Amino acid sequence: MARNNHSGRGQRRRRPQRHKDVLHAQGGHRAHDFRCTSCRLDVSPDAPGTAHRNHCPNCLASLHVDRRIPGDRDADCRGRMEALGMSVRDDGEWLIIHQCASCGELSANRIAGDDNPLALVRLALRPLALSPLAFRLAENPSAAFHEFDS
Amino acid sequence: MSSHTSHTTDPLRLGTFACAWCGLTVSTRAADGALRNHCPSCLRSRHVLDHVEGGRSDCGGRMSPIAVAVLRTGDWTVIHRCVRCDELTSNPVCADDNQLVLMRMAVRPLAQPPFPLEAFGTL
Repeated sequence: MARNNHSGRGQRRRRPQRHKDVLHAQGGHRAHDFRCTSCRLDVSPDAPGTAHRNHCPNCLASLHVDRRIPGDRDADCRGRMEALGMSVRDDGEWLIIHQCASCGELSANRIAGDDNPLALVRLALRPLALSPLAFRLAENPSAAFHEFDS
Repeated sequence: MSSHTSHTTDPLRLGTFACAWCGLTVSTRAADGALRNHCPSCLRSRHVLDHVEGGRSDCGGRMSPIAVAVLRTGDWTVIHRCVRCDELTSNPVCADDNQLVLMRMAVRPLAQPPFPLEAFGTL
């Protein structure tokens, strides 16, 4: 048995290595993906509804790589940018305001179609949830806005 | 002559400034002594300080409020965008700022949601 094996191994030609068509190197397979600095999610830059995705759809964090124009890669800070607030354009598009945790720079970016709706609504509700008016509204909804009437 | 004129119209040196939008004359110090940079009535500002480079900015454009944000300390800040050069700045809210304008900016995203908000009622 062992002898058969030995002779067979000697006679058989070594099989050539299979050709690999998966390109892991730079510029190959999924080269333009980025990994979120906050939650480590691998994010593809192709997003529904926007051509300039710059933030993670899961946790909305971004990276400080662009300076003025989206995609110019002109900033040398490379700090993590956290979602600070939500703004609305005149046409009703939501914009996420990011602030760099390293240098304090602000930037605005449109939301993408696959951004986490719960994270977006939590961000939009943050001023209301943490304001003194929210506590007054919870206690007495009718009297909370009386100061606006005067 | 020109330097004298620039001194008298420089908002950083005067004790008051006129709002570029509504014309209200505003003192640069709020009631609690905090330095104020936007009009308490319409919350608009002018791009005279450069926040990236530090120091003065030579843009001078109007800055309109686009959002309110909450810091970790719980304080509200107003995010301004320069209508001329698209620079973004954030400034703390003063006690006498117009609460109606602030609240309108805060609830503005919920008035035009990009997805139906009914699903969050079950969460």
